[in-house]
Amino acid sequence: MYGFQEQIGFPILTVLTFLPAVAGLVMLLLRGKPTAYKSLALAVTAANFLLSLLLVANLDRYTADMQFIEKVSWIPSLGISYQMGVDGISVLMIILTTLLSLIIIPASWNYIKERELQFFAAFLFLETGMIGVFCARDLLLFYVFWEVMLIPMYFIIGVWGGPRRIYAAVKFFLFTFAGSLLMLIAIVAIAYLARDNQYATPIFDMGLLEKAVFSYQVQFWAFLAFFIAFAVKVPMWPLHTWLPDAHVEAPTAGSVILAGVLLKVGGYGMLRLCIPLFPDAVVTFAPWILVLSLIAIIYGALVSLAQKDLKKLVAYSSVSHMGFVTAGIFALNLVGIEGGIMVMFSHGLLTGALFLMVGFLYERLHTREIADMGGLAGPFPVMAGFLLFFTLASLGLPGLSGFVGEFLSLVGLFTYSKVLAAIASLGIILAAAYLLWMFQRVMFTKLRDEKWYKLPDYSLREIVCLLPLGFLAIWAGVYPNTFLELIQPPAARLTEKMAPYMAESGNAVERIFASLGGLF
Amino acid sequence: MTEDLLSIMPELMLIVTAVVILLVDPLLPEEGRRGLSWLGIFACITAALSTWLASGDEYTAFNNSIALDKYSVFFKILLLGVATLAMLISEKHLHKKQRLLGDYYALILFTTIGMIVMAEAIDLITFFVGLELMALSSYLLAGFFRYEERSIEAAMKYFLTGAFASNFLLFGVAILYGLTGSTNYEAISDAINLGPVPQAPLVIAVVLILAGFAFKVSAAPFHNWAPDVYQGSPTPAAAFLSVGPKIAGFAAILKFFTMILGSQSEIWVPLMMALSIATMVVGSTMALVQKDLKRMLAFSSIGHVGYLLLAVVATGDSGRNLGMSSILFYLAAYAFMNMGAFAVLVHLSNNSENFTDSLDEIAGMGKRFPWAAGVMALFMLSLTGVPPTAGFLAKFYLFSAVVDAGLPWLAVVGALFSLVSAFFYLRVIVYMYMREPGEAASEKVDGRSWDLSLGIGLAAAGVLLLGVLPSPVLNAAQDAVQKLLGN
Repeated sequence: MYGFQEQIGFPILTVLTFLPAVAGLVMLLLRGKPTAYKSLALAVTAANFLLSLLLVANLDRYTADMQFIEKVSWIPSLGISYQMGVDGISVLMIILTTLLSLIIIPASWNYIKERELQFFAAFLFLETGMIGVFCARDLLLFYVFWEVMLIPMYFIIGVWGGPRRIYAAVKFFLFTFAGSLLMLIAIVAIAYLARDNQYATPIFDMGLLEKAVFSYQVQFWAFLAFFIAFAVKVPMWPLHTWLPDAHVEAPTAGSVILAGVLLKVGGYGMLRLCIPLFPDAVVTFAPWILVLSLIAIIYGALVSLAQKDLKKLVAYSSVSHMGFVTAGIFALNLVGIEGGIMVMFSHGLLTGALFLMVGFLYERLHTREIADMGGLAGPFPVMAGFLLFFTLASLGLPGLSGFVGEFLSLVGLFTYSKVLAAIASLGIILAAAYLLWMFQRVMFTKLRDEKWYKLPDYSLREIVCLLPLGFLAIWAGVYPNTFLELIQPPAARLTEKMAPYMAESGNAVERIFASLGGLF
Repeated sequence: MTEDLLSIMPELMLIVTAVVILLVDPLLPEEGRRGLSWLGIFACITAALSTWLASGDEYTAFNNSIALDKYSVFFKILLLGVATLAMLISEKHLHKKQRLLGDYYALILFTTIGMIVMAEAIDLITFFVGLELMALSSYLLAGFFRYEERSIEAAMKYFLTGAFASNFLLFGVAILYGLTGSTNYEAISDAINLGPVPQAPLVIAVVLILAGFAFKVSAAPFHNWAPDVYQGSPTPAAAFLSVGPKIAGFAAILKFFTMILGSQSEIWVPLMMALSIATMVVGSTMALVQKDLKRMLAFSSIGHVGYLLLAVVATGDSGRNLGMSSILFYLAAYAFMNMGAFAVLVHLSNNSENFTDSLDEIAGMGKRFPWAAGVMALFMLSLTGVPPTAGFLAKFYLFSAVVDAGLPWLAVVGALFSLVSAFFYLRVIVYMYMREPGEAASEKVDGRSWDLSLGIGLAAAGVLLLGVLPSPVLNAAQDAVQKLLGN
């Protein structure tokens, strides 16, 4: 079957994916006209956001099947096709991507001083990579977009970043590339093993691969390779060390996209590939992954508590929050998976907003040291209001998006193991501690410098950037059903897939000890 | 006999052109020589076209000593393409160095003929003649700037090690002849398969021949000449020498080890595997510490030879088609990206006063030479193996062959060295875009030349095209190896 499903009258996924890249190339023609190319970037990201809304409006919410399928033969002799398709999970991630991409353009409108053209073009290429990852239905295509995402981000950190930008950029590239190479070999291995016979073309179609049955040994190694690639992105402890460096050195817009979307592709990959393709291995690894997630939650929170740099604090808090994502997903039940996805969505909104605010603050004070701040609520009352809102949302105040995700994720984990859930909930308490303490130190203690009264509070541009994020955070907190409806059918399919494998396994703690016993 | 001559029309065309260039050159004034490169390019393009048009039939000529099949067509067109690129990027550089002589283009054409003969030979003597024609001409190319010490040193080193290697090869070939009584590939293969051939001398022959080939394609531990030679050679010649002889070498290696020794894989596969791993180790780790870009590219090209040998190992096991065609595709991708990278160095050298090829000199190149830096970044990403470039698909296809041959651990080793290689390729990008030009940066002069730009543009287009729409080349590579597999 080639062509595209006429759900909407035109191949929307391809347009959505490649529109930004095409605009990025067109921008090169507008060299020397900053207003023109910036407006073009804004217009294209806005158009892309509207397209993604069109996508969600036309999505059939009651099926777990892939929709808007587009398929064209690409490298037939190797069984590789250009195949796109989305379900509710992808659509939610696409919306997050297009929204954040739209916001960072005005957010960095006057912020970048040199090589502006390349900066905005890099973001457009990045958007293409990100949307492509969420749409790809062919494993090699997925990999191509996965790597395409990497290059603009590498340049964004390395060219427009802070003082240690080169170190951070190279570290970011090498960590991710190492994971990707492992994944590439696993992709090749399963594509060739899934064939009927030695002479058939390999299979890269994700839908077909999900139906293939791999031996336990193959699953074991392939899962490990895929998982490491995704865990680097998430990032899971102990593969997280690139993240604080990358975040601190990246320009504001880079941090926003990094935290908002690039971390999500890790969780997305686990949902899209690890669980459906290697169910046997998932059962084996799940308890271990949960333990790592708990370590990430607690470790990330404790390290956040100790941070002196505002941006680093937000960066480490991401490690902690993303722990809830993997914990929810690998609880392997419906509530947990839904929770994990909601945390991904909510973290994209909230951490995106927090990084934006850190950036806005830095533009004013030229420092990110918490100790240098204090009493900022005086000169910047609007900023204080927004920061309070996003702090509270981030620490999981009921009625805001952070709560829904973490709550569901904990419920899922509780079903899996009460002990693990109890430990994970400590993370929420610690989050309240480091976030509220941060807020107090930044906004309420004595004002350090009277001069700051002369600085302007948030401009309309800055408020406009933050408002949609806040609005969605409230929406997802008050009426999460809108979003849960999207992700429920695909999440349910994943749990159904896992159900037969889960039946015979006992509780998590027992299993960890059992598999430890197996080692001796 | 006339039929035989007709079958090598493209080669004859090149020979005639080369001779014409040599004859006309002394008669022309300095300025008039600038057109000579176009004569060579024209000959290459016509030769490639006529090869393409005649690619339908498969037959052997000159009493079964060369095979004209899809395999030789693939390599002929590839090698002619490499020669074309080499001539496109040379003219301005020779002009700048005041060594604009027709000899250079004639030598490129002779080297190309040698390489083509190597690829189409199915007789050991013919193969050896091709090899020596290629080798002797390339020694001269390496030493073409005879006023520069480094260039002379390069030529001497290339000549001595090359002669050494040729003798190893020849000795191995002689033993093979002694054992089987023939120099024809098929006849040797039949003799080995049918009659009882004593194992010990056969092993010695294989080892000698393998060592000779390893020298020629600069596989470790026989690689040491390569960095010095590439560094000392004129940069456009280095571009040509780092690609052409390797392609021809692998064309011959594949034929040799599948057609003659296909049944003896238990002898050479372990050797090849050791060679491959050693080559990847040496190439990747030594490239890490290089400060000179030409040396860095030389070591990195040794690393690529390591990957290619990996696929040769895969051909020894099951899944031959995949292993062989992956090598062909990889060579095509490698030709574009490596020549492109060297061509950018030529561009920089033409456009700067006293360019020394050092890493420090390309600092801030993103600002000083935005276009050159852009394509250089593309070539570096392709050499690293990042999609959507030719380098990625080539590596992907090659790893596929290795995994499919049941050697996933070997693919993991390859991936590991890919990761190491990312360090030094990225460093080029880091210097170009993330550092400010230092004191080492030389003064910018006007050295624009549109043929060089065309050459770089073609290489870049090739890198992107093979990365995005690989099917035509992929299919050609697969067709090319069908016939060899029949044997």
